[in-house]
Amino acid sequence: RYVRQLQRLQLLFSPTAADARGARQFVEEAAQDFARQHPDVVLYVSPHKGPGPAPVLRAEYLNGTVREELIASKTSEEIVQLATKMANQSGLDIIRIRKPFHTDNPSIQGQWHPLTNKPSILTVQGPRLQPQ
Amino acid sequence: VAKTSLTSPPWPEVKLPDPVEEAKYHAEVVQKVNGLIAAGQYGRLFAVVHFASKQWKITSEDLIMMDNVLEAECGDRIRMEKVLLVGADDFTLIGRPLLGKDLVRVEATVIEKTESWPKVNMRFWRRHNYQRKKIIANPQTVLRINTIEIYPCLS
Repeated sequence: RYVRQLQRLQLLFSPTAADARGARQFVEEAAQDFARQHPDVVLYVSPHKGPGPAPVLRAEYLNGTVREELIASKTSEEIVQLATKMANQSGLDIIRIRKPFHTDNPSIQGQWHPLTNKPSILTVQGPRLQPQ
Repeated sequence: VAKTSLTSPPWPEVKLPDPVEEAKYHAEVVQKVNGLIAAGQYGRLFAVVHFASKQWKITSEDLIMMDNVLEAECGDRIRMEKVLLVGADDFTLIGRPLLGKDLVRVEATVIEKTESWPKVNMRFWRRHNYQRKKIIANPQTVLRINTIEIYPCLS
């Protein structure tokens, strides 16, 4: 019953750039292992020729959010860690969340209001009516 | 001895009932609750669970976020022990302080493991030319509680 929230991982790098060395090593060595360990994630590797934009690992999630992270001048182990981290995330944007819990049915036995656990008006006796 | 304002405590004196009658009443209540559980006549169950050094009040299908890293992968089912309280619409089972493991079963799944939003940790001393800035992103885990079940084995 668990659905991974990552749709696809796109690895954009250029084979000639010097800062994409980690990306190239990752593609040579670890990309296959990563793809086998996460069988429900699609990994696209798209090298673009020539001095283009910086090497980027782009993750798309099921709710449409796209997250890009630079992988320039990173070793291949770091890229593996980054990729697993993004694979474990969901597509919600990372802002401050106010509550660490979320329920759809917060009260089961009835929500407390100031009149619970108090005797009803008909049987309340005033403080002066009781004989001392 | 004269009666002053401090001879008796200010709260009203409560008379405890007879222990034998009390034991019979207890047994009857336990039997009724057992019968209810066995018949399955409860609606939603809620539980108070001690997890990650915090106590949570959880029902089924709700989300909980921890500020730590669990050793389970995404999609693993986890069984939570350390259940303090279980309740339904008509009855509650209170543990002292824990309930038995053969009585309650709380199952949860790890949904995602992300990092928190980047928090700024800055230290500054005035007139000393000292400031350090660090950005911290804690790892977080999100769990979804799947089921809470109780079994009729009270005593």
